[in-house]
Amino acid sequence: MNVFKNKTTRFLTASLVAVVLLCVCVFSFLAFHMSQVSTQTINQVGTLYMSNMSQQISMHFGTTISLRLDQLDAIVTTTSPQSFQGYDQMCQELSYQASVRNFECLGLYSSDGVFEMLYGSQITVSDPEPFLESLKNGEKKVAIGTDPNGEKIILLGIPTTYPMGNGSSSTALVAGLPAAYISDTLSLEENDDHVYSFILRRDGSFVIRNANTYRNSYFERVRMLYSDVGGKSPETYLIELQQAMDAHQDYSTESVIDGDQRHIYLTDLPYSEWYLLTTMPYSTMNSIVSGLSRQWGYTALLGGAVLLAALLFVFSRYFKLTRQQMEELDRAWRDADAATKAKSEFLSNMSHDIRTPMNAIVGMTAIATANIDDRDQVQNCLKKITLSSKHLLGLINDVLDMSKIESGKMTLSMDQISLREVLESIVSIVQPQIRIKNQQFHVSIHDISTENVYCDSVRLNQVLLNLLSNAIKFTPEGGSVTVTLYEEPSPRGDEYIRIHLSVKDTGIGMSPEFKEKIFDSFAREDNTRVHRTEGTGLGMAITKYIVDAMQGTIELDSEPGQGTEFRVTLDLEKASTPEQEMILPEWNMLVVDDDQLLCESAVTSLRSIGIRADWSQDGESAIKKILQRREKQDPFQIILLDWKLPGIDGIETARRIRHTLASEVPILLISAYDWSEIEEDAKSAGINGFISKPLFKSTLYHSLKQYAGHTEAEPDPSQQAVDLSGKRVLLAEDNELNWEIASELLSSLGLSLDWAENGQICLDMFQKSAPGYYDAILMDIRMPVMTGYEATRAIRALDRPDAGLPIIAMTADAFAEDVKKALDAGMDSHVAKPIDIREVSRLLKRLMQE
Amino acid sequence: MTLQECYTALGGDYDEVLGRLRSESLVQKFVLKFPADPSYDMLQTALAAQDWAEAFRGAHTIKGVCQNLSFTTLYRSSSLLCEALREGHPPQDPALAGQVTADYRATLSAIQAYQTQLPV
Repeated sequence: MNVFKNKTTRFLTASLVAVVLLCVCVFSFLAFHMSQVSTQTINQVGTLYMSNMSQQISMHFGTTISLRLDQLDAIVTTTSPQSFQGYDQMCQELSYQASVRNFECLGLYSSDGVFEMLYGSQITVSDPEPFLESLKNGEKKVAIGTDPNGEKIILLGIPTTYPMGNGSSSTALVAGLPAAYISDTLSLEENDDHVYSFILRRDGSFVIRNANTYRNSYFERVRMLYSDVGGKSPETYLIELQQAMDAHQDYSTESVIDGDQRHIYLTDLPYSEWYLLTTMPYSTMNSIVSGLSRQWGYTALLGGAVLLAALLFVFSRYFKLTRQQMEELDRAWRDADAATKAKSEFLSNMSHDIRTPMNAIVGMTAIATANIDDRDQVQNCLKKITLSSKHLLGLINDVLDMSKIESGKMTLSMDQISLREVLESIVSIVQPQIRIKNQQFHVSIHDISTENVYCDSVRLNQVLLNLLSNAIKFTPEGGSVTVTLYEEPSPRGDEYIRIHLSVKDTGIGMSPEFKEKIFDSFAREDNTRVHRTEGTGLGMAITKYIVDAMQGTIELDSEPGQGTEFRVTLDLEKASTPEQEMILPEWNMLVVDDDQLLCESAVTSLRSIGIRADWSQDGESAIKKILQRREKQDPFQIILLDWKLPGIDGIETARRIRHTLASEVPILLISAYDWSEIEEDAKSAGINGFISKPLFKSTLYHSLKQYAGHTEAEPDPSQQAVDLSGKRVLLAEDNELNWEIASELLSSLGLSLDWAENGQICLDMFQKSAPGYYDAILMDIRMPVMTGYEATRAIRALDRPDAGLPIIAMTADAFAEDVKKALDAGMDSHVAKPIDIREVSRLLKRLMQE
Repeated sequence: MTLQECYTALGGDYDEVLGRLRSESLVQKFVLKFPADPSYDMLQTALAAQDWAEAFRGAHTIKGVCQNLSFTTLYRSSSLLCEALREGHPPQDPALAGQVTADYRATLSAIQAYQTQLPV
């Protein structure tokens, strides 16, 4: 089991760790991947943005330049050389036209590359060859030049022919604009420094550069500053850049300056040999996107953590659940094991217990056979065999009861019982055992308002006998056993009464562990003291079951070495028959008992039957009371004395009353003990009679009645009411001899009888008779043609006013099921064969009276 | 031979029957009627015909008569046979029927012995 548990624990822990690791890996990968993706995205976004912007700038440049070229073109168109009278007038007009269009200078460009300035300062073209070449080819062109101050000037050239001052003709008209104009117009220098652009020539030299740039060539700048350009060395980058320039293609890459990453975009500009290079640092976009990706990462991590926590929670719950289940399984297994052990232990104990008396029987039988002529010996053997058989029978009965209970076949048959009779019979059964063990025995009842109740008397007896015989068995010699019974109103209603039964002893008691399982089957206190005590160990289980079946409770208090008390509580239905009216003359009576509760209860009972009673707890004070009352001329007329009293006992007290007081008052001894041994002693001490405890009201009434003057028993009131003579009874009986005997006996009661030889004849005779002719039918069960059951059913089914007349079954079978079958068939009662005339007469009287 | 001796011979309880029927003449009257009772013949016929239900009734009646007359020995054997035949089964132990026959004959011979020495 433990190995299994460890295995499971290990598996769970390992899988938990694995899942946690997996979670961490997956989320880390996701975070990493996302950051990669976001970098790529930035690049893409950057490229897109940059190319757009560069194109914008390039287009803007183109538009601006072409606008200016158009202006220049317009000057040329409106100012043809032929329309002027002289060179000066033409120069004047051209200068005017140009200055209103905000050109900074204007000049005529000769085919040998010499400027003839019309206005503005003298210009030098920085790179004249390609400029001149293009103009000669008739192309409009833009170039850069410098004025005498070194300021850069943008030059716009349109090929056209004007006469020049030196007499030659010009190749082109060239107008100048300040370099700042272009950079302003194109906003090459952004205010926030985020994006900046250069205009380069193919050799890397700057046409226009921003303020931060102090070198003359971009290539030089790259070689000096750039550590890494898009993962390439600066040289590789420059080669790629120049290739792109040669091919007039756009080119984009990333570079790192001082650890700051930036995007670079190259595009060429129209009307010129120039290229626009735009640079945008990533820091801005990067911070936004990296913020996003950081957030994404945090969210992912948080999500992971939440998932992990949920997973952990589920895991721990599952783990707990599994553990619980395993513990339950373990417990169930242990229980089953214990039950099996208990059963096999029980089997071995039982076998041992059965073998002991069985051995005695076998041995004694052998001895008896060997000594068959020795009468005393044989008798002794037989006695022992009887004892052993009885013991054996008891054991087997217990086992059978238990198996009945375990298979659920035990049922209660509720009948009217008298608590007095139950207790009296129990007391008389256990008296011999009490005497043998020399134990003190107390029976105490109080608050008994109802003596007759409905209960299964056999099972109730069994419960009491079990508890009492256990108490006696486990109480050493000289110990005491007390039985208490009292009643209180039942919570189940007025038709019920709650009875409390307690059996208490001062015996060996039980350990707390044993108390737990006392009501389990096959349990017995497992120590050497008890091993000597015989029994199946089923008694308490049976007791508990019976009490449960009666819907009662059984409780137990026990301390090892102190004793045990069992308390049974039952709610029993009160018997419906009214209790006999019990009234006695208004005597003065004294009850002497050391048990105060018993005295009070007895006095209450006595008062309820009309007696004025007093009580006293010991012999001496009783004698004092008797004397006092005599002096008051109000003497006691009957005295009840307990046998065992503190100080002088009951017999001695009686003796003193007789001798000292010379009183003739009747004295009765009350005792729970068997008085046969003390009877002679008691009689000689002047005791008139005995009353057996417990002192029920009816016990007192019946014992005291004889002193009321009329000693003969009261005739049964029902016997006076019904006279059987002259009554007509139909007797169904198939056997003639049986009929004759029954007829002979019943005739002596004055009954007149008619004989029906079977059930059919009986039915016919009853049908033919006038209603009310027969007063009752006595019915045999086993008859030919028609059985007693069938005949009874047929009679009950008749439509006659007397179809409900008393029918009594007579049968040789005394089985309970036969009785039940008879009652089910509609019969009123049942008598067993052979017919007992008193029984039949009693039944007939009762039924006819009803 | 007194009636009591006759009871001893046939294995009956004389005191019990006298307690119930109350007079010796009554007991004598019924004892002398016993040989004429048809139940035994009925039982034998039914057993021969293997009519177990009828045999059960026969045994049952003998048992009832014996109870009435306190013929203890015959009551016992007939009662055992009766139980064996209950529910319409054939008796598992064939010796039971033989025992009833033996006890019946013993009872009958005791009664006849008693009857023959009665003053006519």
